[in-house]
Amino acid sequence: MSPTTPESPTSTSEDLLVQRLRDRDESAMTLFYDKYASALYGVILRIVKKEEIAEDVLQESLVKIWNSFQSYDPSKGRLFTWVLNVSRNLAIDKIRSRQYRVGSRMQPIEESAALRQAATPTFRPEHIGLQEMTNKLAPEQKQIIDLLYFGGFTQSEVADELNLPLGTVKTRARAAIKVLAKLIR
Amino acid sequence: MNIQDYIESGILEEYVLGVLDPAQRAEVERYAADYPEVRQELTLIQQGLESYAQAHTQTPPAGMRERVLAGFQAAIHGADTTTPPAAPVAAAAPETVVRPIASVQPAEEVAASGFNWMMAASVALLVLSAAANLILYNRWQDSETQLVALQADQTRVASTMQAVEKRLDTRTQELAVLRNEQFRAVDLAGTPTAPEAKARVLYNKATKAVYVDVRNLPTLPQGKQYQLWAMDKGTPVDAGVLAAATTAGDSIQQMKDVTNAEAFAMTVEPEGGSENPTLSTLTVIGKF
Repeated sequence: MSPTTPESPTSTSEDLLVQRLRDRDESAMTLFYDKYASALYGVILRIVKKEEIAEDVLQESLVKIWNSFQSYDPSKGRLFTWVLNVSRNLAIDKIRSRQYRVGSRMQPIEESAALRQAATPTFRPEHIGLQEMTNKLAPEQKQIIDLLYFGGFTQSEVADELNLPLGTVKTRARAAIKVLAKLIR
Repeated sequence: MNIQDYIESGILEEYVLGVLDPAQRAEVERYAADYPEVRQELTLIQQGLESYAQAHTQTPPAGMRERVLAGFQAAIHGADTTTPPAAPVAAAAPETVVRPIASVQPAEEVAASGFNWMMAASVALLVLSAAANLILYNRWQDSETQLVALQADQTRVASTMQAVEKRLDTRTQELAVLRNEQFRAVDLAGTPTAPEAKARVLYNKATKAVYVDVRNLPTLPQGKQYQLWAMDKGTPVDAGVLAAATTAGDSIQQMKDVTNAEAFAMTVEPEGGSENPTLSTLTVIGKF
C-alpha cells in the first residue's frame, strides 16, 4: 500500500516542512512554531493549567519533536496528530509528577484557566470553534473526552472517577469521537 | 470480520485517543495498512480530534515565541555535549516511538555547571584582585617614601644650586673685572713687618671702582681687620675694610670708590676700620 496523505489545503506546505525537519534544518522549527505553537500551547495549557509550566512543556515538546523526528511516519498519521500527541504526553507526564498529583485534575473545563482566552488557530482557517464543538457534544461525552484527552486518564480511571461502568465510558468516548469526526466530514 | 463492522466497533476512536494497549494498536495499524477504508476512517477521526485540540488554541503570552525558540536552540545544542537521559514516551500515539531524547534536564545541568564555573571564576578573580591590590598598595607606600626622600633631595639640590649660582655670579663679575682693560693692576708688596705678604689692587680710574685681590696676608688676631688706603697726593684716603673671605684669598672684593690715587696700602685696624691709618701696622704697599 502506498501512503496516502489526507488532502487538505496545507498538505503541500506540510510536506515541505516535514522534509526540512527530516533534513535537520533548524530554521524549519521557526516555521513549525509559527504554524503549530499556539494550538499546541492551548492544548498544553488546558492540561497543565499554568502558563509558565505550559511554556516549559511547549519548549520541551519542540526539543522532543526535533530529536525524535525520524520516528514520525507520515503514512501512519498526520503531522499535527503526531506533534499533538508528543506535546500532550509531555504535558500529562508533567501533571502526573509532583505537585500535580492531587487536585486540579477534576476541575470542570468551564472553570479552567485555559478557557479564559480563545484564539484563532494559526492554520486551517476553516476550523470549527470550541463553542460549536461543545454544542454538538453531549455534556457527558465532552466530560469523558476531556478526561481522556486532556486529563491523561485511562478509560478505567475515568470509570472509577465518574462511577460509571467501563462499557459506558467506552461507548461515550467512541460516540464523542464520532461526533467530532462527523463535524469535519 | 466484516471491515465495516470493524470500523463501527469504535476501536479506531480508541486508537486515536491513545487508550489502546500495544497489541491492539498493532492490530489497528495492520488493518489500516491492509484496508484503505480503515485508513480513511482513521484519518477522519484524527482530523476530528485535531479540530477539537485546535479549538483550544490560546494566544501565547508576550515574548513566549522568542523565549521558547531560544530555549529550544539552547537545549538541542546543549544536548550535543551531554548524555541525554532516557525519557519514556507515554504510549498514546501509534506513531510515537519510544526513544531516548534530550529533555530539558541536561540543559538545566549545563546551566548549573555553567553557574558553578562562573562562581569559581568569580572567586578566582576576587582572589587575584585582592593580591593585586596588596601588591599595588605596597608599591604605592614605597613610592610615597621615595617621593618624600626625593623631595628632600630636590630641596637640598635647589639650595645648593642657588648658592652655586650666587658664586657663579660673583665669579663672572670678578672675571669681568679682571678682563676689563680699563682696570689697572697695582701689586702691593709686603713691608718688613710682613715680607711674605702680597696683594693686588685693580683700579678703574674712569669709574673709580677699586677691587682687592689678596694673594697672601698674615692671619689677624681676633677683633682686627685689614683696611685699604688710597694715597691721593700723599694723603691716605679710606677705601674700606677687607672681608674675612677676601683676606683669606677666596675672592676679590670691590672696595669704596676712589677718585684719584697714585698708590695703595693696607694697614691692620680695629674691626670696622679707622679714620686714619695706623702706620706701624702697614703690611703691604704698592705704587702705579
